[in-house]
Amino acid sequence: VRCQHYPPLRALQASAVLRRVSDEHKKEPLTSSSQQHFDSHPADHQPEQEPQGPRPSYTGQGGQESEDYESEEQLQHRILTAALEFVPEHGWTAEAIAEGAKTLGLSVAAAGMFHSDGSELILHFVSECNTKLSELLEKEQKLVQLGEAEKKPIDEFLRDAVETRLRMLIPYIEKWPQALSVLLLPRNIPSSLSLLTSMIDDIWHYAGDQSTDFNWYTRRAVLTGIYNTTELVMMQDSSPDFEDTWRFLENRVADAMNMSNTASQVQSTGEAVVQGLMGAAVTVSNAETSRAMR
Amino acid sequence: LPAGGVSLRLCSTQVAQEGINKPVIDRIIRVDHAGEYGANRIYAGQMAVLGRSSVGPIIQQMWNQEKDHLKKFNELMVAYRVRPTVLLPFWNVAGFVLGAGSALLGKRGAMACTVAVEESISDHYNNQIRTLMEEDPEKYKELLQVIKQFRDDEREHHDIGLEHDAEATPAYSVLKTAIQLGCKAAIFLSERI
Repeated sequence: VRCQHYPPLRALQASAVLRRVSDEHKKEPLTSSSQQHFDSHPADHQPEQEPQGPRPSYTGQGGQESEDYESEEQLQHRILTAALEFVPEHGWTAEAIAEGAKTLGLSVAAAGMFHSDGSELILHFVSECNTKLSELLEKEQKLVQLGEAEKKPIDEFLRDAVETRLRMLIPYIEKWPQALSVLLLPRNIPSSLSLLTSMIDDIWHYAGDQSTDFNWYTRRAVLTGIYNTTELVMMQDSSPDFEDTWRFLENRVADAMNMSNTASQVQSTGEAVVQGLMGAAVTVSNAETSRAMR
Repeated sequence: LPAGGVSLRLCSTQVAQEGINKPVIDRIIRVDHAGEYGANRIYAGQMAVLGRSSVGPIIQQMWNQEKDHLKKFNELMVAYRVRPTVLLPFWNVAGFVLGAGSALLGKRGAMACTVAVEESISDHYNNQIRTLMEEDPEKYKELLQVIKQFRDDEREHHDIGLEHDAEATPAYSVLKTAIQLGCKAAIFLSERI
């Protein structure tokens, strides 16, 4: 039996600890917020969360909040954003989160809200990068629509999009291999996979992909392969400004373009051959018929 | 990011149209696209066998309407950024085989297949219309209009099939039940994968 009050209780304890130390975040008094937490269906104030314990759900959406009340999710969001600054030094760990909480004037106990392996921090970072990428691509699309910029050919577009996204890793590149291994933990795979697929879908959408057949899948699979392999190459790259990585990326994208050209050539050749054979068969059968008539 | 209720969302993409019930619309468009695609292939199969017979022109006419339907759903799919069903290559073959197979049973066989399929599709469209009306008729006005129009077209095909002696096919009820069962399975799968 899932105890429906477990998440709010944990949040309440966490929030209580934080609020004791913080000055800036004096919101509503503790009693009324506990009232809100223990409502049976607080549709407006409780963000929709799966009852899976104190961990934030990445599939939930923030509920509406009254003006002064900050939801637990928003608070966690702010802490994780602040924690990113300390990742180069401490890695994707509870220490980084604790340091981040400190800069917001909260107690280091705030790090207790999160998993000790830094999963939420890494997923938060990936989600933020993807959002940033979408915004950049949206802006670029607007410029093209207004006629202020040239529409890039597909291979250049894909290359630039992947490079832009991977460059966001540069400040954290030392600790990124650690993050990759955490993202591959079975617990995190649904979230990390979902973030990856939606990012790839975004890139194709802005590249102008309008396929409604199996190509939809092929294109996304190919781009996912390109992205992942380039990311791994980047981990090992020590060239100035990662130029080896971008050259690798360029080659992979060119390969993909070649493959699709070859595939369509094979198809047209195949169709031509079939037509030739059918023509030959008709000719032969006509010849037979006319010989038989004689 | 704005402070007003923006949460740690798993999905980092922006929804094309804010405020729509994305999972429901996704399913609707995906399964309808698959359905029109399959219908296209069924008529293609029937034409391959009966194209030069007396019912050829009628099948061609119905096929042309299905082509228009498919075109419309292709547009909607891009507009709402819906993923097509992964089973499309399978429906490609299965649809053609069903059409050709039923046509090999004769003109009446082809018409029986048409009746069975079009009846399934009309019921399915009616269900979707009900769902959308329950959700929000105003918000989904355009989509509702499209589905209603297509439902009427499919009903018309169904009636044409009956006019052409579909019911006189040998083993009509068995054939019809089998085909409709297949349609139900296809709808169930295409909604999900």
